[in-house]
Amino acid sequence: MNERATESIDHHLISEFKAGSMEAMEKIVERYEDRIFTFGLKMCGHLQDAEDIAQETFLNAFKYLKDFREETKLKNWLFKIATTACIRKRRKKKCEPNHEISLDSFFPQNGDHPTYDIPDVSDDPSDSMLRAELKNIIDAAIHSLSHKYRLVFNLRDIEGFSTEETADILGISTQSVKTRLHRARLYLRERISNAYKEGIVQ
Amino acid sequence: MREDCRKDFERLSEYLDGELDDAVCREIERHFRQCPECRECVDSMRKTIQLCKEAAIEEIPAVAKERLRAMLRGCLARNHHLS
Repeated sequence: MNERATESIDHHLISEFKAGSMEAMEKIVERYEDRIFTFGLKMCGHLQDAEDIAQETFLNAFKYLKDFREETKLKNWLFKIATTACIRKRRKKKCEPNHEISLDSFFPQNGDHPTYDIPDVSDDPSDSMLRAELKNIIDAAIHSLSHKYRLVFNLRDIEGFSTEETADILGISTQSVKTRLHRARLYLRERISNAYKEGIVQ
Repeated sequence: MREDCRKDFERLSEYLDGELDDAVCREIERHFRQCPECRECVDSMRKTIQLCKEAAIEEIPAVAKERLRAMLRGCLARNHHLS
């Protein structure tokens, strides 16, 4: 479905909801719940936290839907609310990773050129245990990113928002989105490659 | 060459995301053709992004979705705007 058709259906459902239709509410939830749950899970790492975020997101969305502007995309608006919920949730956690990622630490020094052992997803699709193990490695790597990098990475690479949309959702500049995304990707490449190498050695 | 490597290393993500001008892309690709290390660098970055996207799919338990709906129905039914 193209973007315009998606927006048109969303706006129709919003009008129905404003007119009092609970069925429209259910349809809106059905259209976006998987993505919001997944985002919460990728941001927080636990299903219970993801559930809290999904509940807070949809409840606030329906509460303030009367203020929703026609020119806004519902998906982007929901992710803006979900991002706020994630930030609030994070403030309550004390053991969240919080480190800056320096570009220099990933640039080869003294003529060294490290090789990165990144497995191919098509390597062995029949081996579900390997794929599950790989997913654990990737999820752990994403979760070890500091919050500000994780937010950008999840919105850009997992959810597929553009640089401009991500900047708007987070209220930061497009340059900051680009910088954080690049550093997050470099960090993940190293983490995944190291974990994968260790797994092979074991 | 070292300077080129550094410059392209810094704009690798913008290159992969198609956010650079055509002329800049051609310049980067010319460098990649001559530099196996940077070629390996861009390939491993591309694979990392692809791998993370592939692993993004999550199974959300039906009970969690049902709890969400039940909570919304309960809270929104109290809203005056709804019948």
